[in-house]
Amino acid sequence: MIKFKLNGKDVQSDSEGETPLLWVVRDELNYKGTKFGCGIAQCGACTVQIDGTPTRSCVIPVSAVADKDVTTIEGLNSPAGLALKQAWVSEQVPQCGYCQSGQLVSAEALLRSKSAPTDDDISRAMDGNLCRCMAYTRIRKAIKTAAQEV
Amino acid sequence: MATIEKISNKISRRTFLAGSVNAGLFMGFGGLLGGCTEQEAVQSLSLPEADLSKVFSPAVWFNMNAQGEVVINIAKAEMGQHVGTALARVVADELGADWASVSIEHVDTDPKWGYMVTGGSWSVFTSFKLLSQAGAAGREVLLDAAAALLGVDRSMCSAANGMVTAGDQSISYADIVARGDISRSFTQEQLDALPLKPASARTLVGKPTKALDIPAKSQGEAVYGIDAELPGMVYATPLMPPTRYGSKINNIDDSAAKAIFGYQQTLQIEDPSDNLQGWAVVIADSFPTALKAAAVVQVDWAAGDTAEVSEADIFAAGEALARDAQQGALVVDDGDVAAAHAAAEDTHEAVYRTGTALHFALEPVNALVEFTDGKCHIHSGNQWQSLILPALASALEMPETDIVIHQYYLGGGFGRRLWGDYMIPAALAAKQLGKPVKMLWQRADDSRMDCVRSPSVQLFKASLDADKNVTGIEHAAVAGWPTLTLAPGFLADGQKESGKYDTFSISGGDHWYSLSNHRVRAINNNLAQKTFLPGWLRTVGPGWVAWGVESFMNELAEKQGKDAIEFRLSLLDAAGKNSGKAPESVGGAARLAAVLKDVRERSPWGGELPSNEGLGVAVGSGQERTMPTWTAAVAHVAVDPQTKEISVKKIWQSIDCGTVVHPSGAMAQAEGAMLWGVSLALHEGTEFENGQVKDRNLDTYRPLRMSSVPELDIKFMPSEEFPTGLGEPPLIAIAPAIAAAVFAATGERVRDLPISIG
Ligand code: FES
Ligand code: FES
Repeated sequence: MIKFKLNGKDVQSDSEGETPLLWVVRDELNYKGTKFGCGIAQCGACTVQIDGTPTRSCVIPVSAVADKDVTTIEGLNSPAGLALKQAWVSEQVPQCGYCQSGQLVSAEALLRSKSAPTDDDISRAMDGNLCRCMAYTRIRKAIKTAAQEV
Repeated sequence: MATIEKISNKISRRTFLAGSVNAGLFMGFGGLLGGCTEQEAVQSLSLPEADLSKVFSPAVWFNMNAQGEVVINIAKAEMGQHVGTALARVVADELGADWASVSIEHVDTDPKWGYMVTGGSWSVFTSFKLLSQAGAAGREVLLDAAAALLGVDRSMCSAANGMVTAGDQSISYADIVARGDISRSFTQEQLDALPLKPASARTLVGKPTKALDIPAKSQGEAVYGIDAELPGMVYATPLMPPTRYGSKINNIDDSAAKAIFGYQQTLQIEDPSDNLQGWAVVIADSFPTALKAAAVVQVDWAAGDTAEVSEADIFAAGEALARDAQQGALVVDDGDVAAAHAAAEDTHEAVYRTGTALHFALEPVNALVEFTDGKCHIHSGNQWQSLILPALASALEMPETDIVIHQYYLGGGFGRRLWGDYMIPAALAAKQLGKPVKMLWQRADDSRMDCVRSPSVQLFKASLDADKNVTGIEHAAVAGWPTLTLAPGFLADGQKESGKYDTFSISGGDHWYSLSNHRVRAINNNLAQKTFLPGWLRTVGPGWVAWGVESFMNELAEKQGKDAIEFRLSLLDAAGKNSGKAPESVGGAARLAAVLKDVRERSPWGGELPSNEGLGVAVGSGQERTMPTWTAAVAHVAVDPQTKEISVKKIWQSIDCGTVVHPSGAMAQAEGAMLWGVSLALHEGTEFENGQVKDRNLDTYRPLRMSSVPELDIKFMPSEEFPTGLGEPPLIAIAPAIAAAVFAATGERVRDLPISIG
């Protein structure tokens, strides 16, 4: 049994240690906001934060988060997280929406490390998050809007 | 129009019904069923156990409760276009509803909802009039009821914002619904006579608003097919055969999987509908376990006969067909191309090709299926329910009416989810097991069995006079045709009994340039057709046809030594068949000329640029001649002289899609489509190798990322004309504009998509 914190709450998983964290979060603990896209750490749809660092949960075994803090979109409620969620609405960012949990989780970590990110900072931090609908222009704009609000 | 009419107007005579049902007001617009009269239909509304579905098939319907809240049902799939918001705004505007009280509901399949499809950028185009009339009829009903309740003359009453006002009296829609006992019907003729708002009186259509689906999508709360669950379900993933068609399973050895905790079994799938040939399905307690087991189950297949087909084979077959003058259906045959050719002083020939491209919707396809109460319930996001239901019925050997598809948000459609084949293996497994099956395709499988954009080959031959003026163009376009396999009933007849063709796969060949001698042949690539299932990929035919047509236009301008915009304008005279038709293409080629002039003005066209940089232009008129959205784009690229790497710095595009219903949603569609254009031009593509697509995941299939996004400068032309489509057309001009810019920067003419030089 593996114990960790999910969005601030103590949780435990009965899955085998090698099970990707993504499926533990989605199917065992029932937080469906985190999505599956590629399974090889290339699309970012499954991004969660482990101790504050954005991580692709599709390739992280659940054993690796024992005793750590995992944050998903559902728990992304820091001032930066809330500002981003609000900016996503004010800038009308999501199209199909499927990538957006991962985008927000990556963007929140960016805003915590850089309060006024440059275009290059944004490109670097967000390049691992594919948006197949290609809502990139608005993602960039909303990150800047949120940065001003925090 | 033929195709769109087939899809959108299955019922030719429509009736509007309004009736008080369960303390609310039902309003719907559609066809009467089973030979019942309008009166019978209205009466059945007020019966306590009203079963409206037996008498009425609404294409549009909404309810208003005694609090004045309006729920508008949406039979279209939500896949990023915020379609529900746009459609609801059209209804609510005419209805005079208070927008704050409007909500939408995406419905499950039911025969009573009529034909269900979301694609082709058709949603607003095909529904605008119906929705407007339905809203207007609802408003009339409420106005009449209000006049009676207030005891005033009907002519004194006006409706806005959920209220009817007459002089100094007023009554809310909520009160009318609560107090009124309404039962009304309108015939098609009465509906056609209803006054619709002039554009200047609209309060919602064309005005800024926020999309109703966006808050949930910004919180991780939107529910997609992949999120659906049922008690007692098992997880499944398919094992796919080495070829799309003709593979057979000789043997399945799952001994290695048996050691995996949570592995249940591997089922061999027999599909009476023959859509699946040689498939097996791994069943497990969880999805990761199913994946682990799938990696070690050994299946011995006898492969079908396309197991060695390559992209080069498909191109070679395509070019041979294009060069055979006997091949193909005649789509355009104006003037006498042969005579123009014989009289030509000079000729110009070019072959344009596009490679295989994947949909790669970010949510891999999936379905959850349960058999209960004698019905098959399918939980899955889908774009064309009316296409897959008959296939499911034949696979499951049960009537279509016993199959219900429960709709979810789509984690991307782009045409992939027009074909719901992913429901079939899940449904057959659930039937065999007698329990709910949740099937998810892993990414590489989603790519492998994608209904890809077919490789295409186009041959162009122009005849020129002594001054290099174009006297004729012969054009042959060869590709795999989605419609041939998936919806053969939608094939069109070529001219002069030249055979059937897929209109979607040649759209853009019948362009708006006036040419006195012009012949277009649409040819099916039969090797492509039997190797894979050609699919509809965002912007479909124009995605490859316009690549050739527009690039060739740029070549001809160059040949003539003319400016590429001036050259086009000289052919866009809006004469004869290019003068357009009301309402959908009123103005014709003159509107295309207008967007072209507009983009010329807004871009630095004709200006000086640093070396290794260039500007290129192209236009589009997709999705079809019968529903043209007029687009013109100028691309600015820079090419690294050493690495030959191409980067797009900026794209200007002017778009005329008639009335814009939901401005922010329209802009988002334009942004997304243009970046798709960049991605397909420069970043993504694959090829067939051994009968299958080679690049199956993001390690080698590489759509555009944030760091390569160019600046976009988009303008919608102010217009009150009939709204056309928007999800796809802004994609069309992008690749040829980029290729022209690359030529301007380097002098290298690119004829293959995706573009690469050096
Ligand atoms: S699903 Fe994890 S990065 Fe794509
Ligand atoms: S909004 Fe659809 S993938 Fe990003």
